[in-house]
Amino acid sequence: MKRRGSFEDRQRRFRQERAPSRNRKLVFRGLLGIVLALPLIAQHGRYLRESENSAIGDPQAIAAGAKLYANACAGCHGPDGSGGRGPNLVQRTLWHPLSDEAIFNVVRKGVPGADMPPTNLSDEETWNLVAYLHALIGPAAENPAPGDFEAGRKVFWSTEAGCSSCHSIRGEGGHTALDLTNVGDSRPLAVIRESVVDPSKDLFLLGQEAVVVKLKNGQVINGVARNRNNYSLQVVDTNGDLHLLYMLDVAELTISGSSPMPGDYAQRLSEQELQNLLAYLARQTLRPLQARASQEEK
Amino acid sequence: MKRSWLFACLLCASATAQVRYEDILKSPDQDWLTYAGSYRGWRYTPLEEITTENVGSLVSKWVYRVPNSRTLQTSPLVYQGVMYATNSNSVYAIDGATGRLIWQYVDTKVERRTVNRGAAILGDRVYITTADNYLTALDRQTGALLFSKKFADIGKNTSSSAAPFIARDKVIVGSSGGDSGMRGFVAGLSAETGEEVWRTYTVPAEEGDPESETWGSMIGWGGGATWLSGTFDPELNLLYWTTGNPWPDFNPATRPGDNLYTCSLLALDLDTGEMKWHFQFTPHDTHDWDAQSWPVLVDIEWRGRMRKVVLHANRNGFFYMLDRATGEFLRATKLIDNVTWASGIDDSGRPVLIEGKDPTTEGNWVCPSVKGATNWMGPYNPGTGLLYVITLEQCGLYSKSLQDPVPMKNFPGGGATEEGGQVIVRAIDPKTGKRAWEYPMTGVGRMWSGTVSTAGGVVFAGDDDGHLVALDARTGKHL
Repeated sequence: MKRRGSFEDRQRRFRQERAPSRNRKLVFRGLLGIVLALPLIAQHGRYLRESENSAIGDPQAIAAGAKLYANACAGCHGPDGSGGRGPNLVQRTLWHPLSDEAIFNVVRKGVPGADMPPTNLSDEETWNLVAYLHALIGPAAENPAPGDFEAGRKVFWSTEAGCSSCHSIRGEGGHTALDLTNVGDSRPLAVIRESVVDPSKDLFLLGQEAVVVKLKNGQVINGVARNRNNYSLQVVDTNGDLHLLYMLDVAELTISGSSPMPGDYAQRLSEQELQNLLAYLARQTLRPLQARASQEEK
Repeated sequence: MKRSWLFACLLCASATAQVRYEDILKSPDQDWLTYAGSYRGWRYTPLEEITTENVGSLVSKWVYRVPNSRTLQTSPLVYQGVMYATNSNSVYAIDGATGRLIWQYVDTKVERRTVNRGAAILGDRVYITTADNYLTALDRQTGALLFSKKFADIGKNTSSSAAPFIARDKVIVGSSGGDSGMRGFVAGLSAETGEEVWRTYTVPAEEGDPESETWGSMIGWGGGATWLSGTFDPELNLLYWTTGNPWPDFNPATRPGDNLYTCSLLALDLDTGEMKWHFQFTPHDTHDWDAQSWPVLVDIEWRGRMRKVVLHANRNGFFYMLDRATGEFLRATKLIDNVTWASGIDDSGRPVLIEGKDPTTEGNWVCPSVKGATNWMGPYNPGTGLLYVITLEQCGLYSKSLQDPVPMKNFPGGGATEEGGQVIVRAIDPKTGKRAWEYPMTGVGRMWSGTVSTAGGVVFAGDDDGHLVALDARTGKHL
């Protein structure tokens, strides 16, 4: 059943739903939400609180929102949310994450004093847009991804694409690149797409900088910097071994500006193959989503 | 100095080091590879740099804030400079020298959270159990998931909070949830694949099962949770695992009899899970006195000959010594001063009950309180030959509810209060079972931390104000 009232109705309901009878459940869910969201915030600014509006997660609403977005928003925020004249909506590492209701308000009222104008969309249209943004920003696994899961699996494990010679999923595959077991639950689809077609972007944020570390004792370590700051450095070398270093002991640190991953997947894969690969990756979660995946294919 | 040690580690790390069973056997040295530090359950480190002379000048070097610390009951593992701390459904790998996070693993799709007591490590893998009973293996260098395999059904009210325990090629896991009706077990899983090799239940499932005559009408929901990891004697090939309270906790009407094997110590064969012997500390418990406290393994002289014994400070207020090969009861002494439910332990190891100490509908004043005389912390120091136990002198009002018990409804059959109370660190001489010294902690008696002792002659504990307290292991002097 779809529940669509005015925004004020929903606000009222929202408040009522936080009445004492449901408090415990909500507090628990809130706590759970915060806990679950924490690691994700660090990656892409996930919502702290999910809306109960029925548009959220509804494929039709998302599709309608996508049309609105392409016409009205993409000009400033980029066709895939990656920003332009307006801010990047997907990689929001420094942003305070917004709830669906807050996004609704921003869309409706705009940002006074900035270039973001108010809109006169109906409630339903605005929620469709919020649903699309939610899907765009939220983990890929939470939304239906276009493309064929099974065909995507074949692409991932094929020698032609070669993904699995460096990346692992559930312990299978190569270990020199990022493990992708949970990629669908930790990255929005747009970020996964970007990582495939433009792998050298945002390496610092992803903990994927290729480094060469020369120590003062002469030792040289080649690997990937999991973390680095002015004081310490943690590197997984090409053998898969972890090195814990103080910057005091480092004579020279060279950070590669580009990823060791080939940058030509946009050419190497057809658009269909890419879509299928993304459908496969989008459903890689710690708890397998196979059942859901096969349902969607039917 | 610390840095040169780190460099030494770097060099050994490049040989693609793996944690072997033999390393855990030898542990701890610089590493801490299993929950209690060693298979013997000593919580003792042979490191000597911190001594009674210099411990007073310790300062904190870094603090890493693990999210949601309310459920934090972890004992971090340490291997080659990396500390592995756990919380519910999560692991944090922290650089031990700097306190920086290397990787974190957070399973966001688990519908339940519980407390979590730690991880296990073997080969290149770090193991945890999730609150919904999956054994999860991670790559220790990157935190990448290798497998996650379900070993119990959360729908049957079983959860998991104990640190998994590695012995040879197996991961031993326990079960939690004993205060609302469940069937406790210990299971041996393959460390390689997570497949179950054996499972030993702690309580019967139905009429006719072994020990079912020690139960009444709620058979199958008896509890006997195994929420703490155990200890292991590699020569006898026996695991020592303790079991929790029978259910309903405070109203025993549905469970006349001893309620085996709750509130017990079990000796299980590592290869088959077969129960070689059991010893029940509190038959027909009505005060929620789980037997969860370290089965500490030591070899000591007893009546003229060396004996392999297991020491156990129990919540019920007594300190036990058993032969760990046979389960033979050797001795029990009073752990705390104020015990009002039993006048002592008889020659067979059974408590000598004082009449009228079960919970009543009006409430019945009994010592020790529901928190017990101690909990799962109690390390042994081979240097001093003493065991250091956090004890609690506290009484409480135990009340019984007449409501019919319904399993899985978080219904313990009554309740209990904890009033006043004084926490005292006590050093016990295993040779005599008597106290060598005691140190009353400051504060209101609510702390319930563990203790660790060192070859430098120091015992560490925590106090009510959140301070780390260091005591002289020989004398109990505050340092």
